[in-house]
Amino acid sequence: MPGVWTLAEFREGVINSVSYELLAWGRSLADTLNVELSSVVLGYEIKDVETLFDHGADTVYKVDDKRIEHFLPDSYSNILFSLVKKYDPQIIIASATTYGRTIMPILSTKLNTGLTADCTKLEIGEDGTLLQTRPAIGGNVMATIRTQTRPQMATVRPRSKKPISYDKSQRKVIVPEIEDELFKSAYRWIKFERDESTDLPIQEADVVIAGGRGMKDEKNFEMLYELAKKLNGVVGASRTAVDMGWIPYSHQVGLSGKTVSPHLYMAFGISGAIQHIAGMSSSDIVIAVNTDPDAPIFNVADFGIIGDATEIIRELLKALGDENE
Amino acid sequence: MKICVLIKQVPATDKVKIDEKTGTMVRSEMEAELNPLDMYAVEEAVRIKERLKDAHITVITMGPPSASDAIKDAISIGCDDGYLLTDRRFAGADTWATAYTLSAAIKKIGGFDLVLCGERATDGETGQVGPSVGSQMGIPVLTYVSEIVELTDKYVRVKRAIEGGHEIVEVDLPALISVVKEINDPRIPNLSGKLKAKSAQVKNFDAISIEADQSKIGLGGSPTRVVKVFYPKLTRSGQILRSKDPQSAAKALLNFLKSKEII
Amino acid sequence: MRMNEFKKVDEKVVKELRQITSDASVIYEDKETLKNYSHDEAGGDYYAHMPDVVVKVENADQISKILKFANAQHIPVTPRGAGSGLAGANVPLYGGIVLSVEKMNRIIEIDKNNLVAVVEPGVVTNDLCKKVADAGLYYAGYPMSVETSFIGGNVATNAGGSKVIKYGNTGHHVIGLEVVMSDGQIVEFGGKRRKDSSGYDFIHLFVGSEGTLGVFSKIYLNLIPLPGKTVDLLAPFKDIETAISNVGRLMIESKTLPSAIEFIDGISVKLGSIYNNIKLPFQDEAGAYLLIQYEGRKKEEIEDLYEIGGKALMSGGAMDVFVADNRTNSEKLWRIRRNWLEGIKAFDPYAPTGDVVVPTDKIPQIMQYISEISVEYKVQIPVAGHAADGNVHPAPMKPKKINPLEWKDISEEILDKIALKAASLGGAISGEHGVGFIKKDLLKKTKPDQYVFMKKVKDIFDPTGIMNPGKLY
Repeated sequence: MPGVWTLAEFREGVINSVSYELLAWGRSLADTLNVELSSVVLGYEIKDVETLFDHGADTVYKVDDKRIEHFLPDSYSNILFSLVKKYDPQIIIASATTYGRTIMPILSTKLNTGLTADCTKLEIGEDGTLLQTRPAIGGNVMATIRTQTRPQMATVRPRSKKPISYDKSQRKVIVPEIEDELFKSAYRWIKFERDESTDLPIQEADVVIAGGRGMKDEKNFEMLYELAKKLNGVVGASRTAVDMGWIPYSHQVGLSGKTVSPHLYMAFGISGAIQHIAGMSSSDIVIAVNTDPDAPIFNVADFGIIGDATEIIRELLKALGDENE
Repeated sequence: MKICVLIKQVPATDKVKIDEKTGTMVRSEMEAELNPLDMYAVEEAVRIKERLKDAHITVITMGPPSASDAIKDAISIGCDDGYLLTDRRFAGADTWATAYTLSAAIKKIGGFDLVLCGERATDGETGQVGPSVGSQMGIPVLTYVSEIVELTDKYVRVKRAIEGGHEIVEVDLPALISVVKEINDPRIPNLSGKLKAKSAQVKNFDAISIEADQSKIGLGGSPTRVVKVFYPKLTRSGQILRSKDPQSAAKALLNFLKSKEII
Repeated sequence: MRMNEFKKVDEKVVKELRQITSDASVIYEDKETLKNYSHDEAGGDYYAHMPDVVVKVENADQISKILKFANAQHIPVTPRGAGSGLAGANVPLYGGIVLSVEKMNRIIEIDKNNLVAVVEPGVVTNDLCKKVADAGLYYAGYPMSVETSFIGGNVATNAGGSKVIKYGNTGHHVIGLEVVMSDGQIVEFGGKRRKDSSGYDFIHLFVGSEGTLGVFSKIYLNLIPLPGKTVDLLAPFKDIETAISNVGRLMIESKTLPSAIEFIDGISVKLGSIYNNIKLPFQDEAGAYLLIQYEGRKKEEIEDLYEIGGKALMSGGAMDVFVADNRTNSEKLWRIRRNWLEGIKAFDPYAPTGDVVVPTDKIPQIMQYISEISVEYKVQIPVAGHAADGNVHPAPMKPKKINPLEWKDISEEILDKIALKAASLGGAISGEHGVGFIKKDLLKKTKPDQYVFMKKVKDIFDPTGIMNPGKLY
């Protein structure tokens, strides 16, 4: 039976953690279909392949070559194309990162098959085909899509699933023969410049920890940064907090600031004026903490606590610290 | 230099109505606009033209007859001419079929050194059509471009905004570039630009004139099918707790985060 | 003077208020929360005063019971909307009860047959605009602070905004009011009818009364068909004089009626540009900008309007004319104007906002005066305003070396001088923000005769003086 493939990302000497999230999706599909789950990884001096097994892969296809040390869309797609032709997977999924969103459309075009972008849910339908669900139009609408051609291909939104641990793997690394011709590239890779500032723009973050008037003062915002760091997120703010000068404008969420749709949005001491809610309502999960039980933010919250934001965040940080010890 | 910019007209509202039976957008009487993210591609093309002096910018879009407005918007800030691919047979195309149709038109017009497009459209939000067009045409694709570092009549060197930093890459022309917001600040057209665009003639192409393989266009040529469209619930019926003391509130929060697999 | 006579709010009063409403509706002793109700957007702690208790009322009946009770006990009552005012009208100067209408936010009815909206006072005006637009209708009383302000506050201050030239200010759209009087009686004035020549026009006595006569519990608003399409023109000019000279000229020359003609000076644009991270064309050369909006039903109509209007501006000396006919560009043009005050406050949180109005042809004179004052006091004064209706907002910025308390006196002196000048030019000391307590001396000074009658009216409606004491008078 043709298997399920995930495209793992190996860059700058590490396997990107999204590769493990992808395996979690792949595992549930492969289990339903009762087929093998394989991860494909391309790069040079690839390390930590065994971690892919630990997170769900039965087998790994590894192409390790100096000539593909960097992401070259033509070489990568040519090599992947040859692998697909040879091993014939029924499903290929990649993460909706800049890598996945570039390589997948190029590959699917070469393969003459359909591709669905930025899915938040993947499942196998009763007829054994892949049902791909994705938000569109700013999260206003969800669409479920089926691919009529093979393989069925999709990119998956990062942070849409948590990695799993897996101990039934065959732990088999397959190193396919690749023709020299396929390594030829029209791209001249020059260099990678790592961003000095580690600040991710809030629109791109998967986790946004936001504070408002209820955080009371600038000093308390430090707790938001601490929590954001722990959850790999960034700090956002209401207009009031920005107006108070507690945080720069670039962090403002809302109509007059940035629109965000992270996987997790935590609102501490934000009442949720219309203009604020318009900037965050398409977040996947919303948590709100506010003293006012009538605060409109609770209407859009999946989980809310009526209470003092600064006290609760302080305790939350303590509790998170204890967990890690 | 011959530059082609691919653009799309999108609904000018966030409140899109969906026919839940057919899964298609109810487009009638809907306000439309040039995809805001395409404005960056249009602006970049115009800046290239201003730099190189000897450049010609052609805009291409696929859509209903009214999509010619989007082309006129591009002309109003400095693009030279535009083609509208409009034909009932194009309707219902997914990203694969759209990319095929656009690349057929690009081939038909011919001679482009550079194809520019936006990162994605604000309605479909796939970001797949650009790279797919490049793949159809067999030319190098440069996605997430935040700066054109160097452009000659032979090659282009760009900066790509990727996770954790920027990558600098170079390819020979022709090439396809999809740009991100950071690349520029699109200008607002002035009165003389608007008046020029108003009188500009937009050329129409149909399936025959681009010599398209009829089996690869429109809904029939699309490998994917929408099987269901639904509205996600907008107000959430979340669980709201009253905090007895900060410790237990923090504990409850922690448990919720765990239940959602965040920690 | 009456201050000493007011009864202090104690546990018993709070218990009564809780009985009338509910435990959750009354805020008492929670300093942190009460503080939110102690000020408006006028800024500066010196313009704030703590309430003793806040009651979030839910209906006319509760308001009536509270007023009846407060009247009997002689406790001051300050009605409050969104708190976005700029004249201190909702600051509880004598403590007492703040009556917040934030929970009364129901749109009771959008009557498509009569083109009337019936709303509660706590409805966010922006929400109302959106809701009626869904029904193909238009509420034309668009105040610029639309994202936060409540319709109740708009009516209480007779708010203006940017579309007054075409549609008039808030008062023009109010056709009926249900008012709870100071003794608790609920009286309805007007209604869904558009005409009424039977007796005094009380509605427009209540419009702009700033909570000194009664509390609105229901508001009937006039709606019109939605224009559908808009286009915005941005015209940079080399200096303020040329920009202002184009305001009247544009309408006369082109025979078009814009829905807005906004003015913003070069300094404001530079500050706003940094705050909003947007660069406007000609930003380094232009001394002033006009931002013009036209509305129309069809694309062709819009094209016709911007062509005629744009050409008139070009011949009037505009450096160029930029045309925004889509959301993205339109938002880009309006953002700096809409966030004008925030842009200034980002650089100087102490900048107060003036609000004066003059006959349109006197704008050059008032602008000239503002620049003289700016030189005299060595203070930078950015100005923006609704040029078409002669309403300008000067915002003097505190020089670094002056301390905030000294600045309060100096900035008040500056704004008072500008306001008095405006009045002497045939204008008024407040265009759209109201009088509150910050401008009450100016009111008395500039309208001495009317003031006597206003006071008499006040005594009829509120004989015990519990309604928003310290405001207007």
